[in-house]
Amino acid sequence: MSDVIVPGLIQSLIALILASTFMLLGSKRLYTCVRIFGFQSLLLALVAALVAYSTGKNELYIMALLTLIIKAILIPHIFIMISKKIGVKREIELYVNIAPSLLIGGSLFVISYYLAQSISISVPQLNNALPVSMSMIFIGPFMMISRKKTLTQIFGILIMENGLFLGTITLTSGMPLIVELGIFFDVLVGVLVMGIVVFRINETFETTDTDELRTLIG
Amino acid sequence: MIKYLLLLPIITALLGIVAKTQKQIETISIIGSACTLIFGLALVSEVFRYGTINTWENILFADPFSAFLVLIVSLVGFIISVYSIDYMGHEIQNGVIDLKKLKIYYVFFHLFMFTMLLVGVTNSLILWIAIEMTTLFSVPLITIYTKKTSIEAAWKYLIICTVGITFALFGTILTYYATIQVLGEGGSELNWASLLAIADQFDPTLMKIAFVFILVGYGTKVGFAPMHTWLPDAHSEAPSPVSALLSGVLLNCAMYGIIRFHTITSASVGTEFTSNLLIMFGLLSLGIATPFIIMQDDYKRLLAYSSVEHMGIIALGFGFGGVLGIFGALFHMFNHAVTKSLMFSVAGNILHKYETKKIYEVSGVVKSMPYTGPMLVIGGLAITGSPPFSIFLSEFTILAAGFSQGYILTSVLVLLFIITIFVGFFNHINRMAFSKPPEGITVGDVSRWSLGAMLILIVLITVTGVYIPPQFSDMIMQVVDVVR
Repeated sequence: MSDVIVPGLIQSLIALILASTFMLLGSKRLYTCVRIFGFQSLLLALVAALVAYSTGKNELYIMALLTLIIKAILIPHIFIMISKKIGVKREIELYVNIAPSLLIGGSLFVISYYLAQSISISVPQLNNALPVSMSMIFIGPFMMISRKKTLTQIFGILIMENGLFLGTITLTSGMPLIVELGIFFDVLVGVLVMGIVVFRINETFETTDTDELRTLIG
Repeated sequence: MIKYLLLLPIITALLGIVAKTQKQIETISIIGSACTLIFGLALVSEVFRYGTINTWENILFADPFSAFLVLIVSLVGFIISVYSIDYMGHEIQNGVIDLKKLKIYYVFFHLFMFTMLLVGVTNSLILWIAIEMTTLFSVPLITIYTKKTSIEAAWKYLIICTVGITFALFGTILTYYATIQVLGEGGSELNWASLLAIADQFDPTLMKIAFVFILVGYGTKVGFAPMHTWLPDAHSEAPSPVSALLSGVLLNCAMYGIIRFHTITSASVGTEFTSNLLIMFGLLSLGIATPFIIMQDDYKRLLAYSSVEHMGIIALGFGFGGVLGIFGALFHMFNHAVTKSLMFSVAGNILHKYETKKIYEVSGVVKSMPYTGPMLVIGGLAITGSPPFSIFLSEFTILAAGFSQGYILTSVLVLLFIITIFVGFFNHINRMAFSKPPEGITVGDVSRWSLGAMLILIVLITVTGVYIPPQFSDMIMQVVDVVR
């Protein structure tokens, strides 16, 4: 029976992940963004666990657990801590408004869908995951250029990372464990380093607005 | 051997943490980097004598190309660590940084060395982790001054390179997917040689998409236009020895990643696709660097844009292909690393003397700095590709490859760009080196340590410019066999 339920469950989780990406694009409050990101990581951990269950790859359970701990719990906490310390405004300031943002996000998804068509996929029940993963990889950078605050730019990178993780389980049902661990280490250290630099920016510029970071040109 | 080579910088960094005085840290740093150089050279000779090394669960891997990169990293790393003593000592004396900052500097200097060595001696998957780590560990080096501009530069560097590198990871995953389609799950042999052996069975469409992601991703880190925007900022705002490492060594590490995948992808889809992409990015980088070099008013940014130019030339060499093109490109990687380190060292000395980065505020360096001045002229001639220095030879080889492979129009364009850059660049050097020094500048130069380090670099570029030792060209030929 699980043969029918598990793939269906995975498909709906992937649909939810896509929905959460668009919710991130559309939300204007920092804490909501943090929560949505945590929720998305939770969904991702569930997908990893389900794939582990259906393929019998125990390594993937470890990845699911790590995703849960690091991405769904630890990183959101770091975020809230940083934003409280430097006292950022709750509102996210945008260069591109929400409606056009969602439109651009939608077109990026269509592009990813066509690009993904040319790659055949090893695990049949994950057929829809690759376009979702690719669209997250494209939406991430877009989020970074459309947001003003340094802190919210980090979300873009995290969305890309989530998309990549979805991509790895989609295409290969997981890379060798040591590689995955290394990638996790890099992501965690990356967020920490970015947090530190945001602190520094706040200290020296007394703002985290990227408009201030425009002296080096030419 | 590889394990010890990787352990050395980490041990040095750990010892740096517990060191108490400035003298101690400096001694540890020098000894550490000297040992790294010795072990690096030992690894190089082992690889060239006994062939490829593959140890530690297939995670560590060294073939001639790896050894070549290790040679560049450990050699330039050692010379720059010697140069750092004076440069950072001067900053301490003038109260720009304190002892705590100095410790941070040396600790991350060696951690940064570790990540760059790891790039060279690992397999296709860990490569990504290593390159991402190079970004993370070099950020503290760039922000060491905690000035507004250096923090801005660090933020741009961090964000742009992380995005780029995430694209590269997607390309790496696609390549891994192609591998397990051939080998099946659990194919743990993921080093470069075994990937190349089965590359002809990879799905061509998949590999094309993967290569585009890799090229854009690692290309960001190499500084290919139009993804180069972080490069002039980071290189000009970092302390000069760090600029030398970033420009001379780090860019080569990212280029190494691209070329590894270029080799594998060409084996799968034929050379035309990847070569054309490399030529395109190379030409674009050269074209965009040219106006910025001519119009530049900041001499450290001038050198940074010159790095964009030279990375473009290296990409063109690999793109033209053939024994001649690849030989030229590899030789150019080495030459650029050495010459650019020299130029950033010179720039560091000038910055300390004149306390400005503006080209028009610097004049008469030859008169005011009796040793640095001539080095500025020699380095300037060398970096723009004049004989008898080594860059002339490698640029000439790459152009010859371009003409002989039938890329006539591209080669003519490259030649025009190089000549324009020569004129523009030398105009700046001329202004800085000659004419009357400004009022109130005393005559005098930096101390012996720095000058000694720079002298080694000058000897290297002059010797390889007139005579390539047969062992060295033999070595590059072995690398050519791997890359082809």
